[in-house]
Amino acid sequence: MSTSFDVIVVGGGPGGYVAAIRAAQLGLSTALVEKQHLGGICLNWGCIPTKALLKGAEVAHTLAHAADFGFTTGDISFDLKRLVKHSRDVSGRLAGGVGYLMKKNGITVVDGVARLAGKGRLSVDNDGRTVEYRADHIILATGARPRALPGIEPDGDRVWTYFEAMVPDALPQSLLVIGSGAIGVEFSSLYNDLGVEVTLVEVLDQIMPVEDAEVSAFVRQLFERRGIRVRTSTRVTAIDRHADSVTCHLEGADGSTESITVERVILSAGIRGNIENIGLEELGVETAGSFIRTDAWCRTNVAGLYAIGDVSGPPCLAHKASHEGVVCVEKLAGVADVRPLDRERVPGCTYCRPQVASVGMTEAQARAAGRSVNVGRFNLQANGKALAIGDATGFVKTVFDAASGELLGAHMVGPEMTEQIQGFGLAQSLEATDSDLAHTVFAHPTLSEAMHEAVLDALGRAIHQ
Amino acid sequence: MARIQAITVPKWGLTMTEGTVSEWLVDEGDTINIGDPIMDMETSKIVNVVESIVAGTLRRKVAQPGDVLPVAALMGVVAEADVTDAEIDEFIDTFVIDESVSGAPTGAAAEGAAPAAPPEPTPATAAVHEPAPTAATPAAAPAPAPARTGTPSVPEALKSGDDDSAVHATVHARKLAATLGVNLNNVSGTGRNGRVSVADVEEAVTGAGGSLPARGPVERVPEVDAVPADDSGVAATSVARRLAKSLGVNLHSCRATGRHGKVCKYDVEAAHALQGGAPAPAAPTPELAAETAPEVEAVPMSGMRRTIAGRLQASKQTIPHYRVSMDIKLDALLALRKQVNDGDPGVNVSVNDCVVKAVAMALVKMPEVNVQFDEASQTIRRFRDADISVAVAIDDGLITPIVKAANSKTLTEISAEVRELATRAKAGTLKAEEFQGGSFSISNLGMFGVRQFDAIINPPQAAILAVAGGEQRPVVENGELTVATAMTVSLSSDHRVIDGAVAAQFLQVVKRFMETPSLMLA
Repeated sequence: MSTSFDVIVVGGGPGGYVAAIRAAQLGLSTALVEKQHLGGICLNWGCIPTKALLKGAEVAHTLAHAADFGFTTGDISFDLKRLVKHSRDVSGRLAGGVGYLMKKNGITVVDGVARLAGKGRLSVDNDGRTVEYRADHIILATGARPRALPGIEPDGDRVWTYFEAMVPDALPQSLLVIGSGAIGVEFSSLYNDLGVEVTLVEVLDQIMPVEDAEVSAFVRQLFERRGIRVRTSTRVTAIDRHADSVTCHLEGADGSTESITVERVILSAGIRGNIENIGLEELGVETAGSFIRTDAWCRTNVAGLYAIGDVSGPPCLAHKASHEGVVCVEKLAGVADVRPLDRERVPGCTYCRPQVASVGMTEAQARAAGRSVNVGRFNLQANGKALAIGDATGFVKTVFDAASGELLGAHMVGPEMTEQIQGFGLAQSLEATDSDLAHTVFAHPTLSEAMHEAVLDALGRAIHQ
Repeated sequence: MARIQAITVPKWGLTMTEGTVSEWLVDEGDTINIGDPIMDMETSKIVNVVESIVAGTLRRKVAQPGDVLPVAALMGVVAEADVTDAEIDEFIDTFVIDESVSGAPTGAAAEGAAPAAPPEPTPATAAVHEPAPTAATPAAAPAPAPARTGTPSVPEALKSGDDDSAVHATVHARKLAATLGVNLNNVSGTGRNGRVSVADVEEAVTGAGGSLPARGPVERVPEVDAVPADDSGVAATSVARRLAKSLGVNLHSCRATGRHGKVCKYDVEAAHALQGGAPAPAAPTPELAAETAPEVEAVPMSGMRRTIAGRLQASKQTIPHYRVSMDIKLDALLALRKQVNDGDPGVNVSVNDCVVKAVAMALVKMPEVNVQFDEASQTIRRFRDADISVAVAIDDGLITPIVKAANSKTLTEISAEVRELATRAKAGTLKAEEFQGGSFSISNLGMFGVRQFDAIINPPQAAILAVAGGEQRPVVENGELTVATAMTVSLSSDHRVIDGAVAAQFLQVVKRFMETPSLMLA
């Protein structure tokens, strides 16, 4: 087997495998090194299996409201193992699909743990057998992992990370979630829907800190109405591990303290880049915190070395990684119309109930940037489709630059919002203005009419409110 | 020369599968020479002039304006005067498209129905037919076609009128009208989609009582338009810009009715209609669809193979090659390289990068090696800068991207450029000017553990350096047996222009730079 390639990608997640496919498509000889699972966290332990679990939560919710649609349900039983199995099956199938794509594109998949052995050189260790590979271009796509908090280290039993939270043997009675980013919020919503008593703790002053304050406040209100205890501006100072429970000591920013005993804790207080043990120090690769520093074309400071996805810094999202993979490869291959990724325009989706989706600046960010803004809002209570499907909880918010009409940001909360945010993404990408969007015809009856109305509202002329 | 020769649809790029005849630039009965512009042809990407690669009398126009023809299809017949019409008819009836030609980049003619001669513009290594940047003597390019002689007389009535920049006219017609002072608003177009052709302008002049001098072969003109050709500065929506490109509409000639003063799709369609074009089709035309479809069959690669075969065979057969080889000790160079690479994370200099640098500096010292040989005009083109072609192996072939003016670049710059060019060569994203030309070639097979090899000259260059791998060897120094890292290089030279002593001295200079690399800084 050849050990010399034009491009070697380290890491088979959504950044790495996409970069490898694009490189192979462009005619470059390409290898992909993966230590464990093709598809990475996304397919195996992240985006995809959690969506399978959350569908289960949604079914529970639907069954609970079946009477609204005329159905009388008898005794309903729930087998957690079957739901988890469904989730694992989906992951297995997709990971197999990635293997097929590698084969189809003629990509050499190397099993093992890679380490930079010099510029353009990589040694791969597979069960003690080390092989050295060479490539003009090495792309690091090593991803990220849960960030541990001192004293609250995950133990795989009572203190979980998303790995354990995804494959529970049994539902705990009670759960405390530390950190309210997408992962924490999704697990809070999931376990609450499955009947677990959930407490959500966030150190900052709003849950989902990257989202618009109105969206965050709205979701918090709904969560609390569902019985989720939410504590913001609160940190977990220490935990006491017992035989089958954990006592968490909380301290508010105002100095108040509280102790909560739960069966399980999920630690989802952010992630850190996987930058250790890959030989970065020896080569003098520049890092920023736990991430590799890169330029607009994903190049590191070392000749022929690139980094994409989570390991190159936030937003740590699969679609950001994939996009960077393509940009990085197209740039090094000299493709004509390649453009750098604008990290400000990466959409974010959270699959809690209700769903949250956003792109661009929050209203507060826009104002802080000194922009004069026009804000539009539209409540789903006035959207016919939302009422028809019995889920009219949510709203759409738009933030436009008052002078240029540029769409600075869009924030959506409610059913199927994650499927719709791309409409505003397109608008940003094409530099559409408020009036361009107002002139666009939105189909009736759809949830997306709320997007149109939120644009019209920013122009002061929403029809249905 | 065959008595009957075909003019066929050329292939201007790997993705070109067919072309649309815009306008013949010559008439039946005209004598045409090699290099004469004979037709305007459109592809989905460009409008270009078809140049003849045959000479003789144009006896028959088989293709008519508007015809969409596949690559290598018959467009016209050139034959000598004594060939009968019946023979020409038979030639047309029995003409078969040469499938191997239609897949390969080729010129505009095939001899008889036989396989085409080695094609001219090619992506392969040997395709180096660029005029020298510092041409001491012009190459034996096709003689410029004679322009019209005599003085035209143009009636004043044809000269007045509004701005005619929006009139739909061919490039040649517009040029002729400008020369004659004719306002195109006064000319009725009879060409495809009502476009004004050269004939229309001539007709208008003679029809209004004017006169034109006898028409010689058409002068080749660069493609210019009355409006600035580059419309990239015009504010337009993405859709409008792309539509304008596909319809051949210049954005300068569009009104901008879109929001924020942008040219929008409607404006481009209006400008297109004004220029006599049909409304834009709602669905992509088959031609466009064909262009965007991925190439499934690797037919173009066989074209490259054939080009390599043809050119290198010709090189080996016609150029009196001889070789001079020399061993070069690398220890000092490797030490320097380590210092450089260890000292800066952003640099990864290879031995080959150092060879490029050393050769470039040697070429400047010995300009008699830094040459191209134009056999046709018996001219040696001596270059000021060292434009070094670096052979890169790609799927089913090789290509030689050029490090231009390598003598004026630092080792770091050369290193970054070679890496980028090599990757782009493999990805197929090199532009023609990046691999056509060059004053000297380097071929390195060191990575395969090759101890020594010889290379074939890449014409019209006159020398190529074959670089083998470095290895530890026993050497005798001052009567002592020691170990040194060394490699063997072999210079193939064209004895017509480079003599043995010159080649040997050149290698000495290369060796000196490589064995005492600090001299490269001096």
